[in-house]
Amino acid sequence: MKRDRTRDAVLLVPGLAWLLLFFAVPLAIIFVVSLGHRDQYGGVLFDRIGLENYLRALEPDFLPTVANSLKYAFATTFFSIVIAYPIAYWISRYGGRRKALLIVLVMLPFWTSWVIRTYAWMIILRDNGVVNSVLGAFGLPGPIQLLNTDLAVILGMTYGFLPFAILPLYVSIDRLDPALVQAARDLYASGRSAFFHVTLPLTMPGIIAAALLTFIPAIGDFVTPDLLGGAQTTTIAKIVQTLFLSARDWPFGAALGFLLIVVTIVGTVAGLRFLRREVIG
Amino acid sequence: MSQIHRLQPSRRPLSRRTMLRGMAGFGAAAALGPTLAACAAGATPSPSSAGASPSAGASAAASASPTPVPTPESELFVYNWADYIGEETIGAFEDKYGIKVTYSFFSSAEEMSAKISTGNSGFDVTFPTSTYIKGYIEQDFIQPLDLSLIPNAVNLAAEWVDPGYDPGNKYSMPYMWWTTGVAYDTAQIEDELTSWSALWDERWKGKMAMLDDVREVFAAALIRLGYDINTTDDAQLDEALALLQQQKPLLRTYTTDDIGVLSTGDVWVMHAWGADVYQVQEERDTVVYYIPEEGGVRGSDTMVLLANAPHPVAANLFIDFMLDAQIAAANTNYIGYMGPNEAAKEFIDPAILEDPTVNPDSALVAKLQEILDLGEDEVKYTERYTKLRSGA
Repeated sequence: MKRDRTRDAVLLVPGLAWLLLFFAVPLAIIFVVSLGHRDQYGGVLFDRIGLENYLRALEPDFLPTVANSLKYAFATTFFSIVIAYPIAYWISRYGGRRKALLIVLVMLPFWTSWVIRTYAWMIILRDNGVVNSVLGAFGLPGPIQLLNTDLAVILGMTYGFLPFAILPLYVSIDRLDPALVQAARDLYASGRSAFFHVTLPLTMPGIIAAALLTFIPAIGDFVTPDLLGGAQTTTIAKIVQTLFLSARDWPFGAALGFLLIVVTIVGTVAGLRFLRREVIG
Repeated sequence: MSQIHRLQPSRRPLSRRTMLRGMAGFGAAAALGPTLAACAAGATPSPSSAGASPSAGASAAASASPTPVPTPESELFVYNWADYIGEETIGAFEDKYGIKVTYSFFSSAEEMSAKISTGNSGFDVTFPTSTYIKGYIEQDFIQPLDLSLIPNAVNLAAEWVDPGYDPGNKYSMPYMWWTTGVAYDTAQIEDELTSWSALWDERWKGKMAMLDDVREVFAAALIRLGYDINTTDDAQLDEALALLQQQKPLLRTYTTDDIGVLSTGDVWVMHAWGADVYQVQEERDTVVYYIPEEGGVRGSDTMVLLANAPHPVAANLFIDFMLDAQIAAANTNYIGYMGPNEAAKEFIDPAILEDPTVNPDSALVAKLQEILDLGEDEVKYTERYTKLRSGA
């Protein structure tokens, strides 16, 4: 079929318009705001334009929060994939006719508000909550502090992002031709060996996709560390929220947010290029 | 090859396209969820009460308002915190004047500020904290009240007339006031606590919390150091920051949900708003509140008339109505906050009047400091607060 360049261009317009309007323009606005500084009412003044907010953002005071953000995002991504892979594998291989239903069950929690689900975790984890009550019933010593800890944050985030990990993994595993695994077994590979040498490498695109889909929202999540975390679990996202809502220093918040977005974009592009080059070939 | 294919059970795997389509739908919902939820979960600098205090059944019938009024508009739009008005107040106002009221909520002062800063929010009356008034006047967000339509202003207690933030009550009328101090659970702590230093006590490491509010947190430290809570002296503020940084490892969390955190028992000692403790006591009656001996903070919410309000006459009448003795009392009895209305005291539930957490005596109130808007110097506080929250 002859390539109709006009038609191609026209078909690209909606997608590009969307990207422009809802991504490029807001990003530009954030950048412009970050160049200003806070006025006395919490508004934005542009009499002194400069990159000083970015210099502030790079001060060592913020390193603990950056470290926290990265820690939670990496931990959440790791645990999500580790837990999601067996689930996706099971649904794909043993789901049979119920596959679609099982996938719907995986997505079902999204029909409930995120905040309510996080509150449910608060009820489970707090000192007088479900876990501690059960431990107490067995006579185990004192309430363990579970809420307002790193554990609670990672638990809550992993729980929340698990479906994001399960779906791409499921798709990837499902597309794997079982004949290849059978061939490996025929060639004297053990079950475990077949998994590591055939299944895992061939489902790597799914794993990368799952990692990206979990890491990117995880690094920006401020609701979960806010509700389940404590004084020591501050993340960059929480600082941005504090700057916008409590401290009302929008330019500085915009600078931090912009940095976060840029780092995320760079990371994602790098990850996708790796995906294309190494895996898809 | 063909044999292998025949051995496979016939199945149509979900193609990537169908899967992505489904994911997109759920993904959109999931992605929007946290954002929308986060708006609701945003920081609230002012206390928001969430429970019902025992209603003394104060009648909602208002005493007649004596001024002959010009014809009011037929509608009114009011913007307030949730659970911050008496149960039947709106209904009573509608009955008295035949004005239809649309009553909307905000969950943070910032949210409210953002909305009214557009200049044509469509609202007539809102309830900002007194610290915002000066800024609002200068930015022309609010307009002067028509005091001829507000004869009930005489009901105000003397100390509330002509406040520093709004001389002559030209732009605002006070609504409710509160104090900030320390709450603790007597079931867990045997000592009788009386000082701010309780929040720095190593014995209760991991069982303490502070309010997530820039000025309140610094006020606690500044009072403990003996300084003015509205200081702009960098050395004093740095000292306060150092003190707060010492405290941080002992804290469990910073939050504005003092009611929630004290009610669940996770926290034994907390920096809290007095009137909120009134509601905590319904869940956990061993929690008590005190204003520390070194001093405390008091604040108030006010009623203002927005610039470009579409229904100014109705708005002024509403503010007047809220200052009516019985209506003010009904409000207090329902939400548990104390008002500035002297005449209302006759109708307020005695339990509230005698409750020192909600209504401390005037000698104590005189010791309290009010947080003032420092204009350009606010940034001295916000920078340090950000440092405090982000540091180790």
